[in-house]
Amino acid sequence: MSLTGFELEVQRAGSAGLETEEMTLNMGPQHPSTHGVLRFVIKADGEVMREAIPDVGYLHRSIEKISEKVGYHGFMPYTDRVDYVAAMFCNQGWSMACEKLGGIEVPKRGEYCRVIAAELNRISSHLLFVGTMILDIGAMTPFFLAFQEREKINDLLEELCGARLTYNYMRIGGVAWDLPPNYAERVLAFLEHFERALDEHNDLISYNKIFVERLANIAAVTPEVAINYNLVGPNLRASGVPYDVRRDDPYSIYRELDFDVPVGTGEVGTVGDCFDRYIMRVHEMKQSVRILRQCLKQMPDGPVIAKVPRKFKPPAGDAYIRVESARGDMGWYAVSDGTEFPYRCKIRTGSFSAMSIIDRLSPGLMIADLVALISSLDVVAPEVDR
Amino acid sequence: MKRNGYLRNIADVCLTTFDGMAVTFSHLLRRPSTIQYPDRIPIRVQDTLPFRYRGILEVDVEICTGCLACERACPIDCIAIDAEKDKQTREMVLRRFDIDMAKCMYCGLCSEPCPTGAIHHTPEFEGADFSLESLVRHFVTAPVSAYKVKKTGETDPALLDLLDRGTRYVDEFASPETKAPAPAEKPALAKAAG
Amino acid sequence: MQEFLDSLITQGYFAGVPRDVVYAAGMAVFAAVVVLGFVLNVSGVTTWLERRVWARMQGRCGPNRVGPQGFLQWLADGVKLFMKEDLIPAEADSRLFRLAPYIVVLGFLTAFVVIPFSSALIIADLNVGIVFVTAVTSLVVVGILMAGWASNNKWSLIGGVRAAAQIVSYEIPAGLSIMPIVLLTGTLSMQGIIAQQGWAPQNWFVFNNPFTFLAFFIFFTSALAEGNRTPFDLPEAESELVAGFVTEYTGVRYLLFFLAEWGNLYIIGAVITTLFLGGWQIPPVTDNAVLRALLEFLTFFIKSYFWVLVAMWVRATLPRVRVDQLMSVCWKYLVPLSFANLLGTAAWVVAWPQGNVVARYAMTLVGVALLYYFFQRVAFHLRRARVRERGELQFSPLS
Repeated sequence: MSLTGFELEVQRAGSAGLETEEMTLNMGPQHPSTHGVLRFVIKADGEVMREAIPDVGYLHRSIEKISEKVGYHGFMPYTDRVDYVAAMFCNQGWSMACEKLGGIEVPKRGEYCRVIAAELNRISSHLLFVGTMILDIGAMTPFFLAFQEREKINDLLEELCGARLTYNYMRIGGVAWDLPPNYAERVLAFLEHFERALDEHNDLISYNKIFVERLANIAAVTPEVAINYNLVGPNLRASGVPYDVRRDDPYSIYRELDFDVPVGTGEVGTVGDCFDRYIMRVHEMKQSVRILRQCLKQMPDGPVIAKVPRKFKPPAGDAYIRVESARGDMGWYAVSDGTEFPYRCKIRTGSFSAMSIIDRLSPGLMIADLVALISSLDVVAPEVDR
Repeated sequence: MKRNGYLRNIADVCLTTFDGMAVTFSHLLRRPSTIQYPDRIPIRVQDTLPFRYRGILEVDVEICTGCLACERACPIDCIAIDAEKDKQTREMVLRRFDIDMAKCMYCGLCSEPCPTGAIHHTPEFEGADFSLESLVRHFVTAPVSAYKVKKTGETDPALLDLLDRGTRYVDEFASPETKAPAPAEKPALAKAAG
Repeated sequence: MQEFLDSLITQGYFAGVPRDVVYAAGMAVFAAVVVLGFVLNVSGVTTWLERRVWARMQGRCGPNRVGPQGFLQWLADGVKLFMKEDLIPAEADSRLFRLAPYIVVLGFLTAFVVIPFSSALIIADLNVGIVFVTAVTSLVVVGILMAGWASNNKWSLIGGVRAAAQIVSYEIPAGLSIMPIVLLTGTLSMQGIIAQQGWAPQNWFVFNNPFTFLAFFIFFTSALAEGNRTPFDLPEAESELVAGFVTEYTGVRYLLFFLAEWGNLYIIGAVITTLFLGGWQIPPVTDNAVLRALLEFLTFFIKSYFWVLVAMWVRATLPRVRVDQLMSVCWKYLVPLSFANLLGTAAWVVAWPQGNVVARYAMTLVGVALLYYFFQRVAFHLRRARVRERGELQFSPLS
């Protein structure tokens, strides 16, 4: 089908000669509820959709190509922009890929700093997801309340690394800054407050009947379909597949940490429906709080960064690593040709695969459900297009 | 059973709406968390920001050694320095030090390798202006000779101040030699996590 | 209104003018006063108040710069909208496009003819008052459909069609919830309904019997749906349809639609106050006619404006329902319940034609118990959030 214009297609249905027209709607790049610049061409019969074809590429910035120009160290701030909602994971992914290429080992304390920053970022990314998803469903207040909590996390991370969104915190071989004095106190105070705020949030909206009815049994994804369509992260676990890179293919210090991996149970509807995807992330926030407490308690002393030459020239070869980002299994593939500039950097993001499943799930859904589906998959445009 | 589901639905709607409205009403009674920047705040926001905050870049040219480490480290080529060794005096002379703040992505990679901390981020974030040219900060207007780090320590008090601040800024960055965190941290950590 | 004009005629004003002309002119003048002096201002102030109330519920400040506490924000917004370019989409049906806002405003302004602001302040006490309000507010459907169609925009069309389905469906439970009151009073006139209530809560119709109590909630829900308010604001669902049927409207035309929406909130509050909460009834504290009128007006205004605030509060709390859920809520839940209500009230009126004092007091106690339980929950949430310890408690939303 052609993606241009607003053609109306006339279909003659059956022998009754009843003429129905399918509407072709453009849920365009400028839309209050597509998360970032995404475009969908929707063919709908009234309210019920027949197809929703995603059109991506509006936010493509050639980040992978830029890596070939700026070098290994210089690429770190660009990785922030790959997924600016959960930037720490991108930093971690790139530094781990480079460390694997160069055979560098990160000191223990550095790994702990990384996990603390990453889990704080996971909470703030999930808060953004929760806020915007609920805003798309129609309630306004939980959005602001979620963002207030996010502001507190931003304050903590600002104290840690100096920026609130594009952190550039990690370096090849460790992290750039150690924890500031008395940081653990402030983080623990925040965690205390946050657990209560999460309870209040659940009281306000998570089990609100209208909210539940909007999400239960919508776009249920079976485990086979989830695996076939390459869903990752909370989307995959909501469908009942208990896979988490932190537990099943551990990296960094996740082996030493004790946490649960929530899996979708269909508590208000079917396993793998929109509500499951939503409540996964709420549960994950609780687990992140648990991880943070353990990290702050177990943190050893020592350096936080290994010795890495300024002109970093890893031997020729390639490295593929995976991190469990807020959006799922994020793969970083770096190819080195022996110079200080990477030969190729490839980023595999969960949002890109999630876009492909939208077309599969949309026939039979209503337009309002499409909005719920897109927001429940936690698709962020910068990650889709890079 | 059908009847149970029907009545249960109604009960669920009423109860969850009731509780939700109680939460919203309780928020009505709390002080808002908005900071009414810029005019109704007790202290300037810039003064509340942490020391590591990566705001607009500032260069203390008096202590710049002309090593060009920042220009090389910048991933977006926003720093333009003209420095050459003067044949007679054997000193580095800086003729140009421009930073294009419109390009700068506030990543901090330039301030990390600076030996004296001459280039550093400030807590300043209000950079809006009316022309694009004003976003390029020129730190050298007339040719000036670069700073030479004195092995015996700096004696000029003005330069000492700048050096202190610069060194403090650069020391914030972690390095492989640091073995232990700042002593203030340990007791607080044990107390808070215990 | 009519008695006041009669008294003026007997005093010698309007000497040679026929009586009917005097009545008509008097009503027109009073209507103009009500519309320009009251309705427009209340709608405007409601926008400001809505933004402040939402903001406080969301932990923000709301507009507080333009004028004291931001009170002139609505005037500033109005002036801004007046100064906007008047865009009509090229392929749009421009006559219908232009006409639509006026029909919507017509539908909503005409309802003010029968709103009883006090015992003497009513433009016309029609003997079909309450049915008149229901009928006239249905005119907005025509306007919304015209707006949706004439915009030449598929999203607007969807919004307009949804709105039409919604408003037409919810007329039924709304009308059926009014019927128990009519059964109790035997009259459709607004002043008549108020006259049969008293000033004390146990004499209000909402606490008269369990069926009218239920009818109150059903009516409030249906009225929210008719006014396109969350949780039923699909026609203007921001996150789905950009702005629904008003997507293509700018400037004054846009202002008219939203004036109608916020003003409609007041009509909902006024009708609820009239039917269920005793209207302008005040305790017999004074004989001074002017003071009485003022107190009655204030009582009525406060009671009806409270429901405007509750509607804002509900909008801040609840998410939106989907269109098929909207229909199923109406047809599967509200309509059968309101029919059951009607039968129940009929049975009640047969069983106790003079009313049942015990039931009235019992229902009042139920209402008070609900309020008490509500404030317990609020206190629980404040306690759990450690609000007092963190120094965040404040009782004045106006600071």
